[in-house]
Amino acid sequence: MLHAMHQPLTTEDLIKRIAKGDRAALALLFEAESGRLVAVAQRLLRRRDLAEEAVQETFLALWRRAASFDATKGTGRGWLTVSVRNRSLNMLRDGARIDHEDTDKLAELGDRMADALAAYEALSARDALRFCLTALDEKKREAVLLCYVTGLNHGEAAATMQVPLGTMKSWVRRGVMALQECLS
Amino acid sequence: MTQEEMERAGEYVLGLLGEAEAKSFEAEMAQSAALAGAVARLREHMAALDDTAAPVPANPDLWRRIEAQLGPQSQSPAQPTSVPANDNSRLRWLGMAASVFGALGIGYLAGMMGTNQQQPMMIAVLMSDNGGQPGAIVEAFADDSLRLVPLDTFAVPEGRVLEIWTLHDPAIGPVSLGTFNASQTIRLTGPDLPPPQSGQLYEITLEPAGGSPIGRPTGPILVKGFAKAPL
Repeated sequence: MLHAMHQPLTTEDLIKRIAKGDRAALALLFEAESGRLVAVAQRLLRRRDLAEEAVQETFLALWRRAASFDATKGTGRGWLTVSVRNRSLNMLRDGARIDHEDTDKLAELGDRMADALAAYEALSARDALRFCLTALDEKKREAVLLCYVTGLNHGEAAATMQVPLGTMKSWVRRGVMALQECLS
Repeated sequence: MTQEEMERAGEYVLGLLGEAEAKSFEAEMAQSAALAGAVARLREHMAALDDTAAPVPANPDLWRRIEAQLGPQSQSPAQPTSVPANDNSRLRWLGMAASVFGALGIGYLAGMMGTNQQQPMMIAVLMSDNGGQPGAIVEAFADDSLRLVPLDTFAVPEGRVLEIWTLHDPAIGPVSLGTFNASQTIRLTGPDLPPPQSGQLYEITLEPAGGSPIGRPTGPILVKGFAKAPL
């Protein structure tokens, strides 16, 4: 009985309950996941208020659409990550990010590369993704990381790495291609 | 899969497809298990990068903003019409919600309210987990309130609180009845739960300030015991 008391509910259990209109399950999931999701969104949006907005939308969408979650297609945790990433990227593309003066912009873009590389360095040494990213040419690795970790689009990533747009597009395409081959 | 499909799967996961391109790619994914599988696999791997972002503490204000937009539970579109409205179970869920609000620091602890003339429905003597010494008495009343009489002084380290739990239904799991930090007789207004039953488990755990962050016991059990009706 005491054992049962300490059995944690999985994210998937909670999503099933949320699909039945269970607010308490939503609150529990918020407790367990919101801090992580805010951090993910903030790395893309750079601002806590915008990151929280993305997380708020994610939880509201979850409340409305939890029934569409299909556990055979992936984990609940992954579903939440994708949801908050998509919302954050939409906000970025809609221009929700503050406009910076040119000098700030350059400094910021420099920071973005540092953020992207820090995420790569923080990957566990045993992680297959780390292994496969390491196997890429440096430029392709940086291009993929910039886009995924910091949410830059092709043009912004090209400006950051000071290469023509076409070069950036080709690095990204070949990079993700090689990555998928390595990971499979 | 063609090379072109793999490239687009990659760009899709990286968030680089435009709105229209992404929509048409999603339509293709719905038709192709191979494409959907490639996206799912890459996403799963890439998520390791998201996990390197250091989580921030859950923000109770953010929860309040979300909650304010949920609307009443019974009117939620997420409530399937095939599920019969069961008042009892709804109350239980609300009770569980109350435990979470407690954990979020929203709080419903009534604190000391003086003695009450009602008869408790159930009494549980909570024993220490190791030596079997009685550590506290819980009196549970029909109105969901609770009187806690410590028999021992609990050592509460700085930044921690005591949290009392009950397990009235193993399918639901433990429900927080409130947090407190001093070994003194207190009265708690618990969440709405079915009337306490004989044999119902009560326990006190040591939790981080503000109560368990996950709405379930996380810290060591100090005392526990089962309810019994007084004669």
